[in-house]
Amino acid sequence: MPATDCQEASSASFSSLGFSILSRRRDQVHSMESPHEATAQEIELEAFQKLVAERFHELAASNSGELLTISWTRKLLEVFLCIQEEFRVIVFNKKGFLNKPPMDRYINEFFERSVKGLDVCNAIRDGIEQIRQWQNQLEIVLCALDNQRSIGEGQVRRAKKALIDLTIGMLDEKESNTALAHRNRSFGRNNVQRDRKSFGHFRSLSWSVSRSWSAAKQLQALGNNMVAPRPNEVIATNGLNVAVFTMSYVLLFVMWALVAAIPCQDRGLQTHFSVSRQFLWAVPMLSLHERILEESKKRDRKNACGLLKEIREIEECARHMNELIDSVQFPLTEEKEGEARNRVKELGMVYGAIKDGLDPLERQVREVFHRIVRSRTEGLDSIGRANSHD
Amino acid sequence: MVLQRAMAFLEEEFRSLLEDCRNNPQSNYDIFLKNSSFNYKNQDQSDQGETESGDFPAYSLEVVTKMNKIACAMISAGYETECCQVYSVSRRIAFNEQMKRLEFEKINMDDVLKMQWETLEGEISRWIKVVKTCSGSLFPGEKNLGESIFSDHPLICRSLFSNLARAVVIQLLDFAEAVSMAKRSAEKLFKFLDVYETLQDLIPAINDSCSHECEHQLTWEIAAACDRIGESAVSIFCDLENSIKSDVAKSPVPGGAVHPLTRYVMNYLKYACEYINTLEKIFEKHAKLERSLPMTSNLSSNDIEKESESPHNFETVESKTPFSIQVVTVMDLLDTNLEAKSKLYRDPSLRYIFLMNNGRYILQKVKGSTEVRQVMGDTWCRRRSTVVRQFHKNYQRETWTRILPCLSHDGLQVNGKVNKSVLKDRFKIFSTTFDEIHRTQSTWVVSDEQLQSELRVSITSVVIPAYRSFVGRFKQYLDSGKVDKYVKYQPEDIETLIEGLFDGNPTSMGRRRSS
Repeated sequence: MPATDCQEASSASFSSLGFSILSRRRDQVHSMESPHEATAQEIELEAFQKLVAERFHELAASNSGELLTISWTRKLLEVFLCIQEEFRVIVFNKKGFLNKPPMDRYINEFFERSVKGLDVCNAIRDGIEQIRQWQNQLEIVLCALDNQRSIGEGQVRRAKKALIDLTIGMLDEKESNTALAHRNRSFGRNNVQRDRKSFGHFRSLSWSVSRSWSAAKQLQALGNNMVAPRPNEVIATNGLNVAVFTMSYVLLFVMWALVAAIPCQDRGLQTHFSVSRQFLWAVPMLSLHERILEESKKRDRKNACGLLKEIREIEECARHMNELIDSVQFPLTEEKEGEARNRVKELGMVYGAIKDGLDPLERQVREVFHRIVRSRTEGLDSIGRANSHD
Repeated sequence: MVLQRAMAFLEEEFRSLLEDCRNNPQSNYDIFLKNSSFNYKNQDQSDQGETESGDFPAYSLEVVTKMNKIACAMISAGYETECCQVYSVSRRIAFNEQMKRLEFEKINMDDVLKMQWETLEGEISRWIKVVKTCSGSLFPGEKNLGESIFSDHPLICRSLFSNLARAVVIQLLDFAEAVSMAKRSAEKLFKFLDVYETLQDLIPAINDSCSHECEHQLTWEIAAACDRIGESAVSIFCDLENSIKSDVAKSPVPGGAVHPLTRYVMNYLKYACEYINTLEKIFEKHAKLERSLPMTSNLSSNDIEKESESPHNFETVESKTPFSIQVVTVMDLLDTNLEAKSKLYRDPSLRYIFLMNNGRYILQKVKGSTEVRQVMGDTWCRRRSTVVRQFHKNYQRETWTRILPCLSHDGLQVNGKVNKSVLKDRFKIFSTTFDEIHRTQSTWVVSDEQLQSELRVSITSVVIPAYRSFVGRFKQYLDSGKVDKYVKYQPEDIETLIEGLFDGNPTSMGRRRSS
């Protein structure tokens, strides 16, 4: 039906223009033989929708083992940067249109939203730093137990100590996310005694966001008032606000997924996601959303400080290692020694994945931060300049 | 087994040494808190944190030696990770405490953007103090501590410093980035430039102390923040153009005085140019020259008349850097604007007074500031001086030379005899004209004292000798009883009245003659 509508040069064709951007039936758009040719702008905007959809399909294609690993998260950020770059080009090309109402309102709203993403990026980096601390504990365990000709009591005690610190650290992180911890937070922070005991008490050293900052609230604010463009708005903006809406949603999803994966202050995943499946990208995005939410509801991950697979792997490895160590008696039997080596190997792999992945991940998060700042400044500048030429 | 126990003990010992001294109440961490004024580039060298060097971190030599021994022992025993962990955490907590003492609190990006400028300005000042303290004393102190404790392990030392520096610096840079995103407006320029300069000073504090990779990363990050700030600064400064263009007056400034716009622009330039090195650097990098330079025309000496009508800003200015070009653009726009404003005066004399006042003000401001003068150059100053002089001459011509014909000795004698009625007319015309001029112009102001006196002198030199000679020559022909009726003013009176011109106070018209 949209195809025939498009052939009429009437106002109906404009609403179906919006439709054509939203719909999957691109082939029909192409098969039009009407004088209404797709303008360069329409092509660009459609290409953008297609890009977002393709990228999200790729992400959604990950199996459950891949989802929410460090490497998947890096892919997610890569997707964001790619989409953001395309959007930036669109904004640049269309700068003449951006200062005309109602587009000016939409674009300014978007830039305000994007600023909220900045604090999320910062909080996430704190979370990555937290994971790094745990990585250090693992390193100690490996140092103690790996590559030893024989495992002596001293090494085991050393490993045990590190594991205790690790467990305390991870527990601290979990607790700080619960409502109880909110009340007790002030006690924990000033408690130097606690500092002595646990390495993981990094809550008090949150560098990047203020004490009262809340990831849950930030996401809420980010997603606030996100309403899909109505057909008349699409017409009024020549489809441009559809691109803005899309970008906003991508931003929201990426930030939400980061908060889901990585420990951060006052983590909460209640953000409401509802977007019409007419958007090509809606299906894969919503599917990912569902899968991640499901993950968060699983029994063993309900109180996780972050859904990153590697975090669960750390917990498991640590638990196994603890059990093993607790069951050990000296001198070690050959069997126990074999078991130990297996556990060490397991731990080594987890450690390796984290060690290799964390730094690049952090760099990417920082890149996202910078891109958001840049794109906002450039965008506002272009609009400002367009305004002064009027 | 024994080793493990020993290491565990050492670890605790290490931690407690690090922390105990941190909590030492004797050490004085109070930072220089004097608030610096914000409009001017103020580089109180003393608040570079000089008072702090040696105060932070306050460990005694004995303690440092102990820690050094512990560190060496732990590292040689293979317990490097534990050792570094303790050190890292402890130093981070210590640094955090320092920041708290400097009243630095992390503000979310979102919140920074929501701040009113007044509040933000205060936060920026605080931030500047913190960064300067870091550059000046905290980072060097940290580096020294690391080197003392890990004296045999320079790589470890660098790595530990890098981790700390990275966390601190990026946190500080976030604030700068947020500031750069604030809505741009003219008054923010100076604070922005302060931020830029503070960031530049951070770089040397990090170089040589960090690992190569970290140095690379942080230098990049600092440069990125500087870029954001720099771009904003350029945009704000260039916005001066719009301020000028949008200042359109409907009615002229009374008395032909210096226009508030002139004062605003010139003072803005003066304060801005106190940051000239920074601005040159920033403009070099970020200014987008959207207009092409006007062609430099070859002015011959025959064009003196034309030259003096217009300052030819672009041709006379020496410096051609992007920043100078922007300054000259501003100057040009100001001239154009003033030209337009001058046309609001119906009286051409007043028009010239206005142009003279403003031109002079501009010239004096430029000459009074080393940096602005550096930008504009001596040729420009000379040219502007010529222009102002021309306005002066024009004024003189408009007002006073029209009074001269009535003092001419010609046309008074017919057949060798003085025509009394013509003479009386002459005197009358003189008095009336002079009165009219005086009445009109007594409220006019010339604020520059030197200009004021130059004007009075030149008027006097034109009028008085002519008048004196006229009076002296022809007074005798008037009927003796009626002299006072026609010779309203003695030359001295005229002199006095002229001396009273241009200070904006209408002198009493009652005082007519000296007797």
